[in-house]
Amino acid sequence: MFHRRRATMAAFLLPAITVYGVFMLYPLARGIYLSMTDSLGGPIAHFVGTDNYRAMADDPKVTAALWHTVLYAAVVVVVQNGLGLLFASMLFRRPRVRKVLNVVLLTPTLISPVMAAFIWSYLLAPSGGINVLLDLVGLHGLTHVWLGDTSTALYAVAAVNIWMFTGYSCAIFLASYMSMPAELLEAAALDGARGWRRFVSIEWPLLAPALTVNVTLSLIGSLKVFEFPLVLTNGGPADATDTLTLLVYRNVFGGGKFAYGVALSVVLLVTVVVLSSATSSLLRLRERRI
Amino acid sequence: MTSNISAPPTGPRPPAHARRSSDRPSPRPRRTPSGTPRITLRRLTGGLGTVLLCLGTVLFVLPFVFTVVTSLRTAADVARSPLGIPHSLTLKNFTNAFSQIHYGPSTLNTLLITGLSCAAITIIGSLAAYPLARITQHWSTTVYRLFILGTSVPVFVVVAPLYLLMRDLNLLDTYAGVVFIYTALNLPVAVFFYTSFIRSIPGDLEEAAALDGCGALRTFFTIILPLLRPVTSTLLTFISLQIWNDLLVPLVFLQDPGKRTVMVNAYSFIDPHTVQPTTLFPAALLGVLPLLVIFVFLQRQVVAGMSAGAVKS
Repeated sequence: MFHRRRATMAAFLLPAITVYGVFMLYPLARGIYLSMTDSLGGPIAHFVGTDNYRAMADDPKVTAALWHTVLYAAVVVVVQNGLGLLFASMLFRRPRVRKVLNVVLLTPTLISPVMAAFIWSYLLAPSGGINVLLDLVGLHGLTHVWLGDTSTALYAVAAVNIWMFTGYSCAIFLASYMSMPAELLEAAALDGARGWRRFVSIEWPLLAPALTVNVTLSLIGSLKVFEFPLVLTNGGPADATDTLTLLVYRNVFGGGKFAYGVALSVVLLVTVVVLSSATSSLLRLRERRI
Repeated sequence: MTSNISAPPTGPRPPAHARRSSDRPSPRPRRTPSGTPRITLRRLTGGLGTVLLCLGTVLFVLPFVFTVVTSLRTAADVARSPLGIPHSLTLKNFTNAFSQIHYGPSTLNTLLITGLSCAAITIIGSLAAYPLARITQHWSTTVYRLFILGTSVPVFVVVAPLYLLMRDLNLLDTYAGVVFIYTALNLPVAVFFYTSFIRSIPGDLEEAAALDGCGALRTFFTIILPLLRPVTSTLLTFISLQIWNDLLVPLVFLQDPGKRTVMVNAYSFIDPHTVQPTTLFPAALLGVLPLLVIFVFLQRQVVAGMSAGAVKS
């Protein structure tokens, strides 16, 4: 009786395995194969081994895009989580304003990246909101063509990303703060630990799991960023904001270099998997040591 | 497991208050005479912190407020003083954007795609999670790991081979194709959520049901499924947000103008670099309006859902 029961239960897996296998695992495997061909997307394709990957090593656009992607991710992970932690720790100490401000901070998270990029493309424009505001308060020297200057464009795009998701990081840290055992905090207070001291020796270690989650999520999210650079700069100026995803998109759809684009997407996969698993296992190791 | 995750919005207040009240009076008896000025200093910095905190938060919503105000002004008014006080308010920008991005039909398309995908993900995902949580054998752990693998695969990696597959299956330009893609992409998260939740449910009830002759299917529908309601709502806020806001999948797989979603229409009809803010902003606001309306009603669930979704994974 129990044997038959288990067979029925196993059958519950069939729809999920079918959909996941056909629309995820199969394309994944086929993508890895296609990256080693000269396919143009049509029925004819020849196996060319590692030719696409070797061509990439000589392609300055690819090395630049890889560097932009990693730099962008580093800036977003550090600043977004730093700000999120700052907000969360301040909110935790102020129960009266906590809930309202947390919700307010989360509103940018709700809008789509396309819409956020729309709003900020005007704010960051030469005669847009930010520059007008700087003029208004007398800081004429700080006005800038934010998205048009190769030295600031990537950071400006990253800033929009950070603006959108800081509330999210903050909410995760805050949820972790809220689950801290009250007795522990009370004991610390009785021992006279407060302010910076309390943060360093009590809160920071307790926040370790939340930090792991936050860093991993923001890392994966920013490595596969697409809409922000697409709408805000479309890779420009002078390819300064070209990321791996933009390069994949451009090569696969409309570049005439289909297989090359697919090979780039494999590079993206390797980058995401290597960086995110390295980071999260390092952070998990740290959790255990604390 | 999930009970302490859905707890944050309601539960944690008492401990926080308890901490605060015990935090303050304890140092007082120790240094009574010299302690008093220090406490006022602390209160002062505390108050200053609150002010800074509120200012920081305002800074985060300012772009929003600015967007709303600007989209209600006339183009000439904005050109005269971009940050000035509006002289007259108009809804004309919204009606213009409404027709420009074909708002009505594209919203219906987005709603349909989001709804169907969410339904498929929750049904298929919860069904699959039940055996994965209850059968502990070599093959089931392998299947589970295979699903979890999918959480770190970006869409970009599979977008090109998926395009070929959709073309071969004649699923380009169909809602079904897009729904299949979203389902496959989000199943890993759903399976992960549901499996860890079902594992935390004690198996006694199911065993009793089995002894009474209840089959696996009936056990799932009468015992497991009702218990899954809280995780499902968490999962749904998480997933629907992603699907509604996504640009890439509909951009690549829905070429037919009649089937396009809000994001694709907004993206393809509006070039932010040449367009006036009075056209840009209403379009941006219309795109997020349905989500904001839902957010206002389900504020607590959404906030809990967004932080829980992350704390779990």
